[in-house]
Amino acid sequence: MKLKIFFVIVIFFFSFGLSLFWGPSVINPFNLDETSREILLSIRAPRSVVALLMGMALGASGAVLQGILRNPLADPYVLGISSGASLAAALGILAGASVFGAVTVPLFAFAGAIATGAVVGMMGWNRGVIWPERLLLAGVGLSFLFSALLMLIMSISADEGLRRAILWIFGDLSMSDWTRVPYGLVLVAGGLAIPIVRARALNALVLGDEFAHSLGFSPGKERLLLFVSVGFLTAASVSLGGMIGFIGLLVPHIMRFMVGSDNRYLVPVSALSGGALLCFADLISKSILPPMELPAGIVTAIIGAPYFLFLLRRKNVLSL
Amino acid sequence: MSSACKHAILDMQGVSFSYTGAAPFVKDLGLTVCEGEFIGLLGANGSGKSTILKLGSGILKPAAGSVSLWGKPLRAYANKDRAKLISYLPQTIDISVPFTVAEVVGMGLYPYDVRPSMTVAEALTLVGLEDKRNSYLSDLSGGEQRRVFIAMTLLQGAGLLLLDEPLANLDIRYQVEIVRLLKQLNKERSISVVIALHDINIALQFEKVVLIQPGSILGVGTPEEILTEERIRHAFGVDVKIIRQPGGKAYISYESNFSRPDKEPGTPVAG
Repeated sequence: MKLKIFFVIVIFFFSFGLSLFWGPSVINPFNLDETSREILLSIRAPRSVVALLMGMALGASGAVLQGILRNPLADPYVLGISSGASLAAALGILAGASVFGAVTVPLFAFAGAIATGAVVGMMGWNRGVIWPERLLLAGVGLSFLFSALLMLIMSISADEGLRRAILWIFGDLSMSDWTRVPYGLVLVAGGLAIPIVRARALNALVLGDEFAHSLGFSPGKERLLLFVSVGFLTAASVSLGGMIGFIGLLVPHIMRFMVGSDNRYLVPVSALSGGALLCFADLISKSILPPMELPAGIVTAIIGAPYFLFLLRRKNVLSL
Repeated sequence: MSSACKHAILDMQGVSFSYTGAAPFVKDLGLTVCEGEFIGLLGANGSGKSTILKLGSGILKPAAGSVSLWGKPLRAYANKDRAKLISYLPQTIDISVPFTVAEVVGMGLYPYDVRPSMTVAEALTLVGLEDKRNSYLSDLSGGEQRRVFIAMTLLQGAGLLLLDEPLANLDIRYQVEIVRLLKQLNKERSISVVIALHDINIALQFEKVVLIQPGSILGVGTPEEILTEERIRHAFGVDVKIIRQPGGKAYISYESNFSRPDKEPGTPVAG
């Protein structure tokens, strides 16, 4: 187990390092000229850090969500939080909002995510606790509604705004700069701290609420706390770079094959590998057909899905 | 009932509960579990066995009445302190989760900040699963899965086990195996056990039986005292005949006519 965790940590730092120094042009870290330093510090480093934070948020929130909903198909986007964030972000883009400068669109996305999370949470709330099935159905319903509204707005909007909105929805890291890092860091660290500290409660919740109660947890409070952490992580990821599929759904499953289902290991390892995968996928997306960039979400799916299917075939397992 | 008990672990008095907020499902219920007792909570499907165990473990909050654990109101305990004294195993646990046996048993340590002396390996040895440590829960038989959760409660260190239908969906071999294991733990480790069950033949092998009719207790005592043909007819709504063998063993024979509907459980019977 320790060896596997060490391996994931090594991959995490390797991926980060590679994304800093590899790319359309290779930077030699031992021989930096003025231009290389500028590219490294102003363009690549913030983009890599944003990719890491976003991937970490997606990987961890997927693992937590699959646990609290006891549903292997749950991912951070199923609760409609990302659709709400995308709708708000697209509205911001299309309206040309720039009230808060460069962070205006991320702020719109964050506000949309938090508002949607609150609505989904309220709809999932009944008799003093959050009900997984209600939460899931409310999320799916809202997700459809917001996606439809988004399509409606985009289909009647001007072309330039439309293109930016589409890029945002499919995950766009090209706009990353240092302004996004501080709030992303705070939100991801805060959102990760909760499931890491409450990992035992999450394990017990996976086996059932009554079981969790018997082991000394308050299932309603624990699920609410974990739902709030998922809300913050999803809001952070969408506001950092839009929607990137695959990581939140499948990275936790791949990590279960590797380190097992104990959330004390699964959540941090899913975060690390989610960050590593997105960093690596972003590197490929900008290097494969320069100067054109592919959306990172396409690359994460093309890299990850076959590997996941290979594991599924070998292990013959798909459950929580 | 509490007067007959030297050390009452769990004491439920005047407990009422309703799922809907309307007519109470459990009404004015009184039940005491004494230290070292091994009790079968017997009743028909839907009679309230699970509800009683959930009220006793604090999962459900009674609308009226009191539930005490070791003389202190159950609600006054911090969650973790309560978990060290009482363990409830639900009837259905999601075993599709790819947790290993050792991971599940290790969850018994969750209420503790400082590890108690028993280890996962020791708990697994006590239930005879020492060689299944790294197996996935879903790869075990129904009886073995039950034993895994019993090992977890051993690690939890609770002196009272409330088990909701632990014999459901098990064939007779595993039923005997689980009851034997629980009796052994009851005798050797002084763990008090309350088992909800609906099989009258198994209840006849217990030393103490609590017979439930929908929402209330029909009788508490030895199977000879409580499991009379009339009471069983009342609790289950079927006619049975109790056959006692010379050695003292008893079993029931179902006497109803399959072509004629039986009475609803709880319907008063004349004679």
